[in-house]
Amino acid sequence: MTIVLDSAPSSVVEALRGDRSNRPLIDIASASGLRSLLEDGIYEVIGAQRLDPPLVIRTSSLQQRFATTDLAMSSIGRIRGVLIVQLLRLLSVGMSIEHPFDDALTAWRAEVGSNELIGQLDRLDDDERARLATDLDAHYVTLTRALGEIPARWMPRSCVRSIQRLSGGNVVLRDAIDLMIGTPTSEVASIALFDVTTSPLGEGAERSMRYHALMQTLRSSVMPLRTCAFSSATGEIWIRDVDYELLARSVDDVLACVRDQWTAR
Amino acid sequence: MTLLHRRLTKDELNHLIAGSPIEPTRLNDAHRSSLSTRFRAVSVPGHRRLDAWSVERAGRSGDEFRWSPSTARRALGNASLRRMALQPLSIRDAVRDELGDQMLRAVSGYSRSGSLSHWLASAPHPVIGVVTAEAVNWATQLHEIAQWLETPWTIPTSDAYYDVATARTTLRARRDLVVRNDDSRIVLRVRSGSPGKSAGPGLRADLTIEALADHDGVAPARFIGLWPEAGVCLSVDGTMTDLRSGARDLVHTAVAQRRRGNVIAA
Repeated sequence: MTIVLDSAPSSVVEALRGDRSNRPLIDIASASGLRSLLEDGIYEVIGAQRLDPPLVIRTSSLQQRFATTDLAMSSIGRIRGVLIVQLLRLLSVGMSIEHPFDDALTAWRAEVGSNELIGQLDRLDDDERARLATDLDAHYVTLTRALGEIPARWMPRSCVRSIQRLSGGNVVLRDAIDLMIGTPTSEVASIALFDVTTSPLGEGAERSMRYHALMQTLRSSVMPLRTCAFSSATGEIWIRDVDYELLARSVDDVLACVRDQWTAR
Repeated sequence: MTLLHRRLTKDELNHLIAGSPIEPTRLNDAHRSSLSTRFRAVSVPGHRRLDAWSVERAGRSGDEFRWSPSTARRALGNASLRRMALQPLSIRDAVRDELGDQMLRAVSGYSRSGSLSHWLASAPHPVIGVVTAEAVNWATQLHEIAQWLETPWTIPTSDAYYDVATARTTLRARRDLVVRNDDSRIVLRVRSGSPGKSAGPGLRADLTIEALADHDGVAPARFIGLWPEAGVCLSVDGTMTDLRSGARDLVHTAVAQRRRGNVIAA
């Protein structure tokens, strides 16, 4: 199911949770099958040899299947993306935000200390910095309008990381889910994954949605209920119910990426 | 050695707990004295602190410790869950209450410089937000694991510490959940990332320190390390072989640390 909301919804989180009475029972059987598909597929590409360093797949690897210019991957685009995720983290715990740019930057610095991207931000001149702050304000307004309040009883957590080593460590899958609600301990499927991007939604966003669902399934052995991508640039949201077919497509995405990286070595 | 590797699922975890050895291993005074002698033989000028992390890194010192949202999350997350065991609170509210108490401690003058309370009290509003988010993540993760358990569990009020007599050495073992199964205890420890090649020695070091810190020297029947981000768990049994191996790794780490110290001094 894909939902495209053309007007600002009262709450994206409400839409993600959906009707509780319609939720399927948790699926704890599919994870092992998906893992086998991945292991077999990787073996066909790499064989039994040991790779050092290993191939690393991230969400960003899946978005760049073809050599195209992606503005979201520019320095400013990446900084904006990180900052909007910081704001989402603060919103997820009900913090009030008065100055989106300053608050996001303070939160980011506290989290990572210093890195290359923060260095690039520090080197921006006043005009570029002001443009970025204004841009971020606009994205923040779109995000808050759509997201609404996130109730604590839905157990929201942000920046949920996962890592999977496959083929004896030859391939490492890494992921960070911007926002996750629900719990894997429930009798019915209840986990919903929320990914925010500052670019318009495209094919890459769809692959990311699938990848988040696959990684969450591999990590917890429980299939999530829904996965979604939200664009803070356009206010557009894509919501997909997670089923085996969607996860199998993500396995294909990952294997295609492994094949590309292996060929490029 | 009894290192077991399993996927982190409800069934596997409960199976690991139910299948732990029944007969507990006990460390006596002779064992403690022998360890003390070995540490004394590896003397250092100041006080030495060793834990599973230093064993895993073979005594290499990392970056200097500083408080950050990720270093604060475990202390706050575990304390919040202990709070939830006493009163019905959502995880987010429990974390907020815990943060409030920590900051109140600093304001009341009950915290020393460099402590978590002190750092939180001086942290700006957005940093408190990220600290809350990290602590909520940690507490939710631990809460989910605890909900899976079919045996009674508690969240310990502190990690296990053991001062090695006359060797100016403090050993510290992390522990996040303690499960009581009949007369034996099983200790669970949660870690970020995925287990590396030295995860086994790290777990054995924790097992040994946990046994040494016990008043009667009783080792946990099983020590289970959980890596939720990778969805795997490793366990070691509280056998004498594993305890000896853990003690040996701790002494080797002390030796490696001293050698590095000598090289730097030269």
